[in-house]
Amino acid sequence: MFIIHYILTVFEWSLRMPYREKTAWLSLFAMIITFGPYFAIVALRTLPAEPMPHLHQLGLFAITAIVQMLILAAGHLFLRTGSGPEASMPLDERDQAIMRRSVNSAYYVLIAGMILVGCVMPFNSSGWTIINAALFMIILAELVHYGVVVISYRRQA
Amino acid sequence: MIEGSISNRIRILRFHSGEMSQAELGQRIGVTRQTIAAIEAGKYSPSLEAAFRIAHTFNVSLDEVFQWEIKLPG
Repeated sequence: MFIIHYILTVFEWSLRMPYREKTAWLSLFAMIITFGPYFAIVALRTLPAEPMPHLHQLGLFAITAIVQMLILAAGHLFLRTGSGPEASMPLDERDQAIMRRSVNSAYYVLIAGMILVGCVMPFNSSGWTIINAALFMIILAELVHYGVVVISYRRQA
Repeated sequence: MIEGSISNRIRILRFHSGEMSQAELGQRIGVTRQTIAAIEAGKYSPSLEAAFRIAHTFNVSLDEVFQWEIKLPG
């Protein structure tokens, strides 16, 4: 009973959400359910050791990226059909302000990550360790980007 | 720096304009319904251009829509 009430509340809440917020939630969701398991597998070192290009690792990354793209494509299609004319409206001044704020926040995460990966890690790591660290920092920056978008819309800022 | 807060009378002006909806006002000035809701709630301060557009829509002057209240120190 509680679960049905919760689902209905979330559904009602999502109907009132701006289209841009819905797409930000979708991007967050897609990233977490694809790259979450990817980095868990990488961190637990469950893949067999292989020389470069390490086909198992490459395959895992390809599957993750394809699944993420499929989720995003299906999600955007679903949201676009359900949102009516709002989906095709250009960004208004508040949307643009939110976008600037989120990109600005993500930039600092990305630049810190790239300094770590590009300037520090080559001295003690190589191959897929560096690639995965770079990917992790990109995903982290994207999480910050969409996170700030969602928080800004939630706070009506 | 002088501290202050911006308030507005958009809700009242919408009421006096035949209960104009937030969506309709948004459409007239080129922003979304959610942006109008955020302006009304005082969570978002619009650009000067959008503020003038709102005043023009209601056919009133800018200071009849937006007010700036100075916060006195202490």
